[in-house]
Amino acid sequence: MKPAVRITVLLTLLAASLSAQDLASFEKRTSMRTLDNGLTVIITERHDAPVFSYATFVNSGSAQEVPGITGLAHMFEHMAFKGSDRLGTKDWEAEKKALQKVEETYAAYDRARRDMTQRDDAKVAQLEKAWRDAMDAADKFVVNDEFSQIIDRAGGVGLNAFTASDVTGYFFSAPSNRFELWAFLESERFRHPVFRQFYKERDVVMEERRMRTESSPIGRLVEQFLATAFIAHPYGFPTVGWPSDLQTFSATDADAFFRKYYVPANIVIAIVGDVNPAEAWPVIEKYFGRLPKAPEPEALRTVEPPQNAERTVILRETAQPIYLEGYHRPAVTHPDNATYDVISMLMSSGRTSRLYKSLVRDKKIAAVAQGFNGFPGEKYPNLFAFFGVTTPGHTPDEVAAAIAEEIEKLKTQDVPTDELQSVKTRVKAGLVRQLDSNSGLALQIASYQTIHGDWRELFREVERIDKVTAADVRRVANETFLPSKRTVAKIESTKTASAPKGESK
Amino acid sequence: MKTIRWIFGGLKPAATFVLLLFASSAFAQATSVAEIKAPPLRKFSMPQPKRVQLANGMVIFLQEDHELPLIRAAALIRGGERNASADRIGLLSIYAGSWRTGGTASKTGDELDQFLEARAARVETGGGVESTNVSLDVLKGDFDAVFPIWADVLRNPAFRQDKIDLAKTQANTAISRRNDEPGGILARELVKLGYGPGSPYARQAEYATINSITRDDLVAFHKRFVHPNNIIVSVIGDFDSAKVEKKLRDAFSKWPRGQQVPPPVTDVTPARPGVYFVAKEDVTQANIGFVHPGVTRDNPDYYALVVMNEVFSGGFSGRLMQRLRSERGLTYGVGGGVGANWDYPGLFRAQMSTKSSTTLESIDALRGEINKLTKDPVTAAELSLAKESILNAFVFTMDTRAKALGQQVQLEFYGFPSDYWQKYPSNLEKVTAADAERVAKKYVHPGQLALLVVGNEKDFEKPLATLGNVQSIDITIPEPGAVPGATQSAPPVGSNAEGAALAKKVAAFVGNVAQLTSLKRTASMSMVTPQGPMEMEIIALMQYPQSQRVEMKMPTMQVTRVTTPEAGFMITPMGTQDIPSSQRAATMAELKTDLLVVLKNIDNPKYTFAAAGTEKIGEVSAAVIEIGADGPAVKWFVDPATGRLLRTSQSSPQGEMVTEYTEWKNFGGLNLPATAVVLRNGEKAAEMAVSAVEVNPGVPEDAFVKPAGK
Repeated sequence: MKPAVRITVLLTLLAASLSAQDLASFEKRTSMRTLDNGLTVIITERHDAPVFSYATFVNSGSAQEVPGITGLAHMFEHMAFKGSDRLGTKDWEAEKKALQKVEETYAAYDRARRDMTQRDDAKVAQLEKAWRDAMDAADKFVVNDEFSQIIDRAGGVGLNAFTASDVTGYFFSAPSNRFELWAFLESERFRHPVFRQFYKERDVVMEERRMRTESSPIGRLVEQFLATAFIAHPYGFPTVGWPSDLQTFSATDADAFFRKYYVPANIVIAIVGDVNPAEAWPVIEKYFGRLPKAPEPEALRTVEPPQNAERTVILRETAQPIYLEGYHRPAVTHPDNATYDVISMLMSSGRTSRLYKSLVRDKKIAAVAQGFNGFPGEKYPNLFAFFGVTTPGHTPDEVAAAIAEEIEKLKTQDVPTDELQSVKTRVKAGLVRQLDSNSGLALQIASYQTIHGDWRELFREVERIDKVTAADVRRVANETFLPSKRTVAKIESTKTASAPKGESK
Repeated sequence: MKTIRWIFGGLKPAATFVLLLFASSAFAQATSVAEIKAPPLRKFSMPQPKRVQLANGMVIFLQEDHELPLIRAAALIRGGERNASADRIGLLSIYAGSWRTGGTASKTGDELDQFLEARAARVETGGGVESTNVSLDVLKGDFDAVFPIWADVLRNPAFRQDKIDLAKTQANTAISRRNDEPGGILARELVKLGYGPGSPYARQAEYATINSITRDDLVAFHKRFVHPNNIIVSVIGDFDSAKVEKKLRDAFSKWPRGQQVPPPVTDVTPARPGVYFVAKEDVTQANIGFVHPGVTRDNPDYYALVVMNEVFSGGFSGRLMQRLRSERGLTYGVGGGVGANWDYPGLFRAQMSTKSSTTLESIDALRGEINKLTKDPVTAAELSLAKESILNAFVFTMDTRAKALGQQVQLEFYGFPSDYWQKYPSNLEKVTAADAERVAKKYVHPGQLALLVVGNEKDFEKPLATLGNVQSIDITIPEPGAVPGATQSAPPVGSNAEGAALAKKVAAFVGNVAQLTSLKRTASMSMVTPQGPMEMEIIALMQYPQSQRVEMKMPTMQVTRVTTPEAGFMITPMGTQDIPSSQRAATMAELKTDLLVVLKNIDNPKYTFAAAGTEKIGEVSAAVIEIGADGPAVKWFVDPATGRLLRTSQSSPQGEMVTEYTEWKNFGGLNLPATAVVLRNGEKAAEMAVSAVEVNPGVPEDAFVKPAGK
């Protein structure tokens, strides 16, 4: 027994020192500052090529919405490309007045059209025309997409943004001689954003909703799944928004959302690449220091109440079947988070994973079968979900039964040591593999700093995973994977493929 | 706009790229873009990989990169889907999908999975239109352990049947789902319109073509294309080039050359211009696309086309996004341009999605932008924005060692000069507004476009027919039909009356309904003589439906194998071991096709019996029944006069297994096979003689229980 223990200890020490060294070496080329206004900026140096990437994370997403303004966080994200009082306008003073007119006429029109009892169609049409005329007048001052054009012209690539339940992120990469231009543009878009072309962009977002959600079976499934799994918490709202809200909210609503949540203390910027911190800090202070200090938004009040009854939603579609189930789990900051990560890996990572072996390889009832964590977000208590994409001739119920079998094993049998070790090895290697891209790193660092409060958690999470035991896995599986905490969503096909199963032994 | 022009104003295009890099940083806080001066971009050149060519033609690129303790390698092999024969469409998905998972001569794919994933290593195979590849991604400390596996997968794949079947299941799943997402339908059908449906760049796998693919096809494809003279190996990571070069030389320099890959097909037969429509009801948007053939990359007008494409749809600044999205709010996603592939023509495409009620409006708007491309000249402002965007972003084409390596591999593969990317900026710099206009007229042909609409026409603001004659494209997925040369792997879709009647006839030959229904167990004793010296006595206990205990007595030892729905184990002189779950699953599946199991399930809807013509066996014209046995498939060849089973045939991981039943005898009231010959892939594998069968015997309590201890 003795030598075995010694070897284990030695290996653990070795692993620990390796990862510690990684963090240490990483810390050496990383510096972080919080500006006077509360904005957090992190710079990580990588000097291979004269380029840099950045990610700005606002610690607000669709979870900050309430009924009536669902989709507004995402709508603001779109508006952050429309410029400022200095960018995207031919004449700001005149445009400002024209935009005020747009808001006034829209408010009048919107109130009249939503009147439930005394709606006057002629009046509504007249108010709508006034609003459309006001928009046409305002559009005359617009320089289309000037913000994006400047970045394109300067050689910026990958210009984009995303809105999630937890956060909103903005990013691109640029040649490193454009650092000051970047600092100007990135601070400018949050210093004084102007909601020009708001209602046309609202139409664009409606198209995005039609594309991603309404015209896609998976989109429809996920929307129903979340709306069923969360009855109180805003994780149940679609990030893109409900159609009624999307067709109602105004630039004035977007401005209120901006003022409340886009305060420097609620924003993290991570920069990775060929940037010299000594030269960069003064530039950052100079431009981002312009953002006015404001109080941090209040933390979210609503907590999803415990689920004590299973919920099921069935979509009867002409599309092929898909099975999805989710169980409530605590927020990412919970001490069991590492165990959830391990369970996710055990069930889903690679061809040795349990769901692959059972559902895909042996039973051939699913083409893909995986479990995943942190859905739809992770900042608040969320879902651990499993899904299976059926193979021709097989049903969601078969997938459900096979997943249940594997969950039962997690609950009743200790994970074999070598299987657990294999997962931990892959987690460590996975971290190393994440470190080779400026843009990927910038997103990771900004994400960890925003959601975990410290970018170093990116490394520490790996150490915590290394400490997860077989007993932890059984305990957490028994606590989490209970039918009463489950929400099931499935597509049942009205036109099942009668295809050959292709399994001829 | 004014301020930006000011920065670049007055500069000639040729000087722009250089001069943009000069200027000094302002001390004061800028309040407009004009006040911000970009310092010169520091000089840098990305290290290029070392190129080595072995005497057998294999090309090797070595790129050291010591930032992280990782090593990645890839063998890129000429020959892909376009080289597969037309009756094996989808070959590459099965080939690449079972190449690595099917294991090597010495290790099964499952064993490789275990070995690699415990080391966080990956060895994977892939394939596409032009090429296949075997890649390696490993922590540097494991390189020596994993390298031989990578080389073994490259050279000695086993293509085991179970993983071929898995790849087929995956391919058939993709087929069954290909009409679920409207964007996928548009992309696929647009390609077919652009190249012609029979083109190797557009043709589409069907259940029938997938099911017709055999292991022999995969082995033949490997044999045909995987030769050192068709392979480019690239390695990047934390290693010493000299050492890795030696390792590669040791592994590959004795590998003899093989046949070259034929030149690519470049002919296309595009659809006639006109309006094509795919009906899709479960959507709120229409997907719209225009298409006609494009160019190849070696076209001298390529650089002018790159600039024209940037004007047309570069990022958020291009005309399409500006006019259809920002100004009109018609769409979320719109894009297009003249496509260029490296060694076969690309396609001109312009596509978007919009709500159903603005379909015709959007078609008109998108067509308008295509027309403008050929009519409205590219303005000076558009030209400068396009060129500066491309040239200033050029640094991103080589900002990592991996990209520099990837470029050299690509140039080598397509036979382009190795300084192609070094010359790219100056080639692009030369493009003028007149060039952009000229190539737009030359390569964009509004009159030759096929328009494709995927959507729910009843919600369109006007019928599509207002655009002229509309040709509907039927995207119904064809049921698997009989395919010439197909083997067993396509189980029948359902029963037919003739098939069911034949199966009943076989049942009547074996015993009456009551006998078969009351059948719980059989115990049989037989001698099996495989090819070779070893003779085996086999005692098999079947407990229906799914439990089996087989005792194999060989001259030197005895092995007992037990499989039940709950467990699977082998008892050998060395002790008792669990059977791997994959093997157990295979046995369980095999049992489903057992003669008596099939007959007991003759009325189970999960069992299907389809008559499939006749085949001559000796003097008898045997009736063929294709049986779907709740998953696995088996073919029966029956004497239609007597209901006697003459032959069965089915695929297995070992190949095509055929059993010829030479003699039947009455055992305990049932008519059962007494002698049989088993053929594997047409070669005699074993002879079998049954000496006794007991019907519903008593069973020792522990017959299916794993012995404790040992």
